[in-house]
Amino acid sequence: MKIDPVLFDTLDALARDGWEEAEVFAKKGRSRTLHFSLSHPVTSLRQEEGWAARAGDGRKSFFYAAHGTPVPDTLWPEADGKGLRLATARPIPQWNVPSSLDAPLVGESEAQALFEGLARELDHEFPGARLLAGHLDDGSSESQLVSRREAVAIYRHRVAALMVEATAPGGRQQRHGPLSQTLTMVAKDARQLNPKAIARRLADRLLIAQRGQAPHRDRGEFLLAPDVFVPLLSALTPLWIGPKADQRAAAVADLAGRLGSRALTLIDDGRLPGGILEAPTDGEGQPTRRTVIIEEGVYQQPLLSWSQTPSRPALASGCCHRPSWRDLPVQGPSHLYLKPDETTSVASLLSGLSRGYYLLSCDGVPQIDFEKRRFRLPVSGFAIADGQPTGSISRAELTGTLPALLSGIQAKARDLTFFMASVGLIGSPTIRLRGLELRSRA
Amino acid sequence: MPFSRLDSSAISRTLAQVADEATDVADSFFERREDIELQADGSPGMRVWREEGFAIRLMRQDTTWLAARDGISPEVFQQALRRVARAMPRTAVSTPPLNVEPWTSRPEASEIQAFPSAVVRAVKAHRVSFPFELTVRRHRRWVRTIGTRLASGCEAETFYSIVSTLPWGRHGALVPDLRERSAETLASNLVRSHLARDAAPPEPYQGVLVLGHAATAVLLHEAVAHALEADILSRSGHPEAAIGVQMGSPLLNIFDDPASAPKGVRRTSDDEGFPVIRRCLLRAGVVEQPLCDTIFARCSERLSAGAGRRGSRHWAPTPRSFHLELAPGDTTSQDLVSDAEGGLYLPEADRGYLDPLSGRFTLHFPYGRRIRNRVPEEPVGPCRLQAQVSDLLDKVRGVGAEVHAAGAGWCAKGGVKLPVWATAPELRLEGLEVTP
Repeated sequence: MKIDPVLFDTLDALARDGWEEAEVFAKKGRSRTLHFSLSHPVTSLRQEEGWAARAGDGRKSFFYAAHGTPVPDTLWPEADGKGLRLATARPIPQWNVPSSLDAPLVGESEAQALFEGLARELDHEFPGARLLAGHLDDGSSESQLVSRREAVAIYRHRVAALMVEATAPGGRQQRHGPLSQTLTMVAKDARQLNPKAIARRLADRLLIAQRGQAPHRDRGEFLLAPDVFVPLLSALTPLWIGPKADQRAAAVADLAGRLGSRALTLIDDGRLPGGILEAPTDGEGQPTRRTVIIEEGVYQQPLLSWSQTPSRPALASGCCHRPSWRDLPVQGPSHLYLKPDETTSVASLLSGLSRGYYLLSCDGVPQIDFEKRRFRLPVSGFAIADGQPTGSISRAELTGTLPALLSGIQAKARDLTFFMASVGLIGSPTIRLRGLELRSRA
Repeated sequence: MPFSRLDSSAISRTLAQVADEATDVADSFFERREDIELQADGSPGMRVWREEGFAIRLMRQDTTWLAARDGISPEVFQQALRRVARAMPRTAVSTPPLNVEPWTSRPEASEIQAFPSAVVRAVKAHRVSFPFELTVRRHRRWVRTIGTRLASGCEAETFYSIVSTLPWGRHGALVPDLRERSAETLASNLVRSHLARDAAPPEPYQGVLVLGHAATAVLLHEAVAHALEADILSRSGHPEAAIGVQMGSPLLNIFDDPASAPKGVRRTSDDEGFPVIRRCLLRAGVVEQPLCDTIFARCSERLSAGAGRRGSRHWAPTPRSFHLELAPGDTTSQDLVSDAEGGLYLPEADRGYLDPLSGRFTLHFPYGRRIRNRVPEEPVGPCRLQAQVSDLLDKVRGVGAEVHAAGAGWCAKGGVKLPVWATAPELRLEGLEVTP
């Protein structure tokens, strides 16, 4: 991979215009999308190519983005507003481009086969259920960046995202017709998406929605599927990201300064091997790295960008991302995840649950009250006794204090699963925890 | 107009090479957009986005193929055409000339820079003071559709989005211009929000609700327009089956008319090149004509195309509303709040959601006012209205006589963000429950 010389030409043009700080970013990509619906399937092939420049000095700056390849003689807008300071280049550790990036995009017939297989498996798992809609997007991209601070970066990504919605007849709890459930998932390659596993997850959710009862107020032990714990991790990002994150986390820690149980190790890794967004640099050309935020319950450091730790640059992670050429760099995780336990299966966690709940899906947005250190999360799942499901529960709410949530984690499985966040990916394995409360939200 | 010099005959002939079955429809959609933004935090100062591109679409029976590209040139046009072709033509695919006007001027939007101070002045005129920051963005878009059967003229839209960041939350608005009146309307909304910032949410309440112009517009969009989109209707049956169904109170006469939208965003054709129509969604509460694009209109003699919209060239068109109008009733504002002691006046709704399968509808209000002695008085905090759509629309008991352009906002159905506009009167509802 080689930087397109026109990026340097455009950077030179900005320098000739007298800009002390200047950066040129370019991104091109292609994606195949299959939108499945009962009435009209749509297959799209998109090719996108665009670029952006930031330039400024101590007092003023501008941002300009356009389609195509960079144009050195662009009519730049008037600079205005605050000044601009860009990141100084830092050494980028050795990086081997993953071979998985070279896999071709999923074909139209492969995408159709995925949905057909999914519909078939769903019918098998839950007779009467049907696939209502689906959206598969499989894409690859290449990004390049150069700046007047000697930053030179080039990286590629390969991401497949799937959304499926299924419907089933409503049960006695649904007074108003059929019900539907939606699943979203992400993979490096659409071929990694398994129709049978997805159909099972959809069937579980439909079953719970159809037959689930609102629970009585209860405590006990809980198994939280990744679909449930990831929204909480995501809502708690003010504790993990930014220069004041450690202060916020300290307010949640116990008197000894411990934030969570020994099972709580939280990591962000822009170079996660096999990770969907693994890359040598971020969207500002800064090297990515593995950052341990919490190790065995003890807070280590928040995720910081280069500008947030000027006096200790070693603490910085490359964590400013550019989802598209239209976007300015935005701080966020790459692969933020709760470290799994590779020796433990979900089945063994479940069989060890004498009385409790296996919460499979999050039915809404978590509500976090940082002042009162409390959270609420709408959930549904199964009641469990002696490792076996005894009934399904829905219209439930998991609630408790943030210290109880973080210190209540007893064990983890190996099924680390990532989900798209507003920026980057957040992942978790299934976890077992206690100290929380389940109540009805009916 | 960047696309006025496109040779529609040559493009149409080229597209005809892939539309090789009798019922095939092929079209090309050209798009140019420019956004200019002044950020509240000023870092970096002026932000400019300029882009153009096109998409080629082939519809055969019930399937659509779309190839979208950034940039416009005969070479990439030919590549995209090959992508949607189901079988390669026997002769070489011809390349049409694509004469597009280049960007010539430096990006500039001085009106954006002047607007924040106009809003500050308008807020001061209310004799209140509170901190706020404004992010103002000008959106300009030019589109043209040329197909094997239709070629529209070049359409242009210009409007502004404003995000106000306040200590107690954010407030978003879309306006067709940045004149003094827009600044005053925004200032009034911010002041109302300021006065209600510490108000407690109301206790669960069932009784009279009077929705202001803006809240009515959101209700129309979420509960009526989305419910009558052909793709949404098709999830539970044939869209045509909705025609003739009594969906709400006989007081409701609701239209979607892109041609009467505010100046600057008016349209004469939709994003599929079809001439727009003044579409009567509900006449006396009865469904007359659902929102429909080409692909659904092809399957029915009773459905009319003309409401196909694209978030951008990279998305296939879907049926969406553009500019909703609720015809005025004969009730004065004073009569709407009469016999409503203890009721709620809800001027704005910040979001709504319709579950298309169950028909369950939720509308969120950031604040409201308790009606005392036929006047909206003490503020109440955030609350929400939940009901079945049919119940909700059946509970309309009064439609105001005075209509305002209000309730414009972003609609993000299916992740595709589009501006929507509305002209609406106030609305009186009875017997519905509002909860905190």
